[in-house]
Amino acid sequence: MKIALFLAGALALMAQGPVPRPAPELKIVEASGKVTTLSSFRGRVVLLAFISTECPHCQRASGVFEQLSHELSGLQVAEVAFNENADVAAFAKKFGLSFPVGVSTSDLAHDFLGIGRGMRLGTPQVVAIDRSGVIRAQSERPGTPLLQTHDFLHNLLKALEAR
Amino acid sequence: MIDHSLVISPVAALVFHLKQGFFLYGLPVIFGFLTIFGYQSAGRISMMPSTKWPVVFALASAASMITLFGWMIMVRRMQMVPFYGCGVGLAYAMMSRVYAVTMPLHPRLKIRYVRVTWRGDKEGIERLRQALRARV
Repeated sequence: MKIALFLAGALALMAQGPVPRPAPELKIVEASGKVTTLSSFRGRVVLLAFISTECPHCQRASGVFEQLSHELSGLQVAEVAFNENADVAAFAKKFGLSFPVGVSTSDLAHDFLGIGRGMRLGTPQVVAIDRSGVIRAQSERPGTPLLQTHDFLHNLLKALEAR
Repeated sequence: MIDHSLVISPVAALVFHLKQGFFLYGLPVIFGFLTIFGYQSAGRISMMPSTKWPVVFALASAASMITLFGWMIMVRRMQMVPFYGCGVGLAYAMMSRVYAVTMPLHPRLKIRYVRVTWRGDKEGIERLRQALRARV
């Protein structure tokens, strides 16, 4: 009985939010102090990424997201850095990002992704949200490289735009 | 996790998985194979009496560069280890079947080329022995 309870607890900790599900509200606080809410993007397809500014995969993926934001007119891209002392202004400038890049805490990122607080996250955690504010794709907890590739994301976001 | 109700072309995902499969599993096999093949070839060629030292130097340098480059890639992921081992094993198995590597002069082109005599090649081994006896 104790073992079953322990296993159930461990599984509950490892679980993450189901897909599809309504996207929770999120405030994107940029370095300038400008605050944008996720709900303000309603009506557009949103590509949201939780990143660490020091992670090379995030840096590479940010370039892909920037390219996609120019290719798909109905797309809104946003990034949220949750590493400590993240200098998002320098990050956005260095990689030439024209979309909002905000800062957040690790706990808020975990809550948004539906993952137990304290669980290790592979970055970037990519989330694709449709026009009605429903999460239609989300990275696995250790990270999903497929959701960082240009061609796949392009097809996915076009399918979301067509819905 | 992707909503299965979405209709997405599978080509991009297929290309991605093929590329990932090659880099995760194919490349370690290739580097494992090249490591043993390179060192053994360099060793065998350097033992040949007619080989000049710059050739030995170039071969040994190239073999160690390939090895080091492979290892730099390999240390990134644990799952590459068995595949690297398979490449090493494959190269050892292949090289153990080699009876001799010689560089005879091509009769018409008048250039030296690499000829591998395999263990199962009885005629080739006999020819090699006769050539050695004639030289002695």
